[in-house]
Amino acid sequence: MGRNRRILIVDDDTEMRALLTDVLQNEGYEVAEARDGAEAVLALRAKHFDVILMDKNMPGPSGLDLLPGFRRVCPQSPIIMMTAFGDVPSYMEAIEKGAVEFLFKPFRMEELKAAIAKVVAQDAGSPA
Amino acid sequence: MIRRLGNLLMRNLTARLVILLMLALMLITGVNDYSRLTQERERLAGQMQEDVRIFSETLALAVRQNVRRGRTTDELRELLDEILARPGLEAVVIFGPDGKVIASSIAPNSPDPQADDLVRTTLGSRRPAAQALETEGGRILRHVQPFRWPTGGRTAAIEVRQTLVAMEQDYRRAVRERVLSRLAVLAAFVLSVVALTRWNIGRPIRALIAGAQAIGHGNLGQRIELTRRDEIGQLADEFNRMAGNLQDANRQLIHEATERLRLEQEAQQAQKLAAVGMLAAKVAHEIGTPLNVISGRAEVLARSIPPEQPGLRHLDVILGQTERITRIIRTLLDYTRPKRPNLVPIEILPTLGRVASLLMERGRRREVRILLEVPTGLPEVQADPDQLQQLFLNLVQNALDASPPGSAVRLAAGEAPLLPEEGRAGIRRGEVDSACLAIHVLDQGGGLAAEELEKVFEPFFSTKVDGRGTGLGLAIVEEIARAHRGAVELLSIPGRGTEAIVRLPLAAGPELPAEAPPHA
Repeated sequence: MGRNRRILIVDDDTEMRALLTDVLQNEGYEVAEARDGAEAVLALRAKHFDVILMDKNMPGPSGLDLLPGFRRVCPQSPIIMMTAFGDVPSYMEAIEKGAVEFLFKPFRMEELKAAIAKVVAQDAGSPA
Repeated sequence: MIRRLGNLLMRNLTARLVILLMLALMLITGVNDYSRLTQERERLAGQMQEDVRIFSETLALAVRQNVRRGRTTDELRELLDEILARPGLEAVVIFGPDGKVIASSIAPNSPDPQADDLVRTTLGSRRPAAQALETEGGRILRHVQPFRWPTGGRTAAIEVRQTLVAMEQDYRRAVRERVLSRLAVLAAFVLSVVALTRWNIGRPIRALIAGAQAIGHGNLGQRIELTRRDEIGQLADEFNRMAGNLQDANRQLIHEATERLRLEQEAQQAQKLAAVGMLAAKVAHEIGTPLNVISGRAEVLARSIPPEQPGLRHLDVILGQTERITRIIRTLLDYTRPKRPNLVPIEILPTLGRVASLLMERGRRREVRILLEVPTGLPEVQADPDQLQQLFLNLVQNALDASPPGSAVRLAAGEAPLLPEEGRAGIRRGEVDSACLAIHVLDQGGGLAAEELEKVFEPFFSTKVDGRGTGLGLAIVEEIARAHRGAVELLSIPGRGTEAIVRLPLAAGPELPAEAPPHA
């Protein structure tokens, strides 16, 4: 690929965003951050992202609420949902609304990297 | 005094009966006695007159005989004096044919004789005449009796005066005696009526009063023991029957209240469990992220340290402990996680009815009515009955707590919101992507401002004063609504009220699976 894969992180927790940005940038991805749905929309309008990493629990519209809209507006950007473990109903709902992967917090950074790699590979392999 | 008597009449059955009876009797016998006594008096008077007439006739014959035999005036007067000895005679006078007094014998107080109209009429008509007179000594009867003078065939007369005083005294005495005996009879009668009433009527009535009072004081086992079959006995029977019914109804009420209390406690318990579950979930949610940050950073740090470095050990410990924390919270969640909803097709009206019934008492205490305006015959929804009950319980409780006394909480069905659009703010959670049933819970409370509406679904956010709310009610409502693939919307107009609209997917809709999706 000519350019690095671009990842959008949508999470209201500052430390979480910082951690994810550090780890993913270290892996060579280009990372952008958004605090909530509104900032995410602005970011999505500005650039194309290869992966959206979105937290479910946010004030205002939750990740689940935003999911269908994002899938509609940028179908080329697969979405990985994060949520607290034990939140199984959200898992089912997220999958049905179009999330491709799910991560239960706290997850290992290894787990995160593997999930992103898998999604990127799928994307590359799927018809344009 | 009059007032006391009036009071007595009002309050005492016996007294009233007795007094009225006495008055009636006195009236009847009084009238009767009066007419009888009057008749008697007239009869006596007539009798007296007749006596005097007969006496006068006889006397006239005797005088005529004496005159024919030639007695002198003096001798005649002696005769008259002897005759006057008869009790009651006041005077005897012999009038000659020309009206002159031939001889007379007068009692001391009696007026002098004279040939007045009465005498002259008698002399002229040759018929006896009588007259009643008032004198100083009392009433007298004058009777003038004509007789034929022995010589010449002319008419002479004898006047007899009879005092009526004695007769009248007798009459008055007779009246007195009659009245006294009447009163005695009346008194005896009244006493026996009183005694009879007290015994036959007053006693059972007092028993009834005592029975009613006992029941009024809460002693529902009280019964009246009467063994008569008349109206009072029937009254006692009905009373006993009524007391029995009251007892049964009371027992029923107690039973129902106990049952309702039990159900309410169960519902409260379920609510607490659900709240704790929500708490645990919220803790898990909140802890997940910082825990992630800690373990993530430890991982990153570990990566930058060469394997042999002693500091690596510390990071291993940090990672290990974060995993332990995770396990602890997972265990906690397993215990308290709200159960997966068991979705079945159900009618929503019974659930709403149970909720209204459970909260009836609370509504009554706050003087707020709960109006169930949901019609029968609505399509079934796909839902877990217990969780649905919990959901509406929370919504209606919130509505009740927000309602001022005298207002009403309405439960209704229908697509459109009940609150008008003007000044209305809203927030929605979840969405339904198929045919659904919308249930509205509307209150007339103070409403919520737009800023409050934003936060209202957040756990631990509460507008209730003194920390009365757990802050989890609406969070649970959202959780249950989402678990049912439904949505909840909150609309509010500050100062007018708040409306919660719950949308639930219909049962057996074409797009929905017949059962809940399997969990991983």
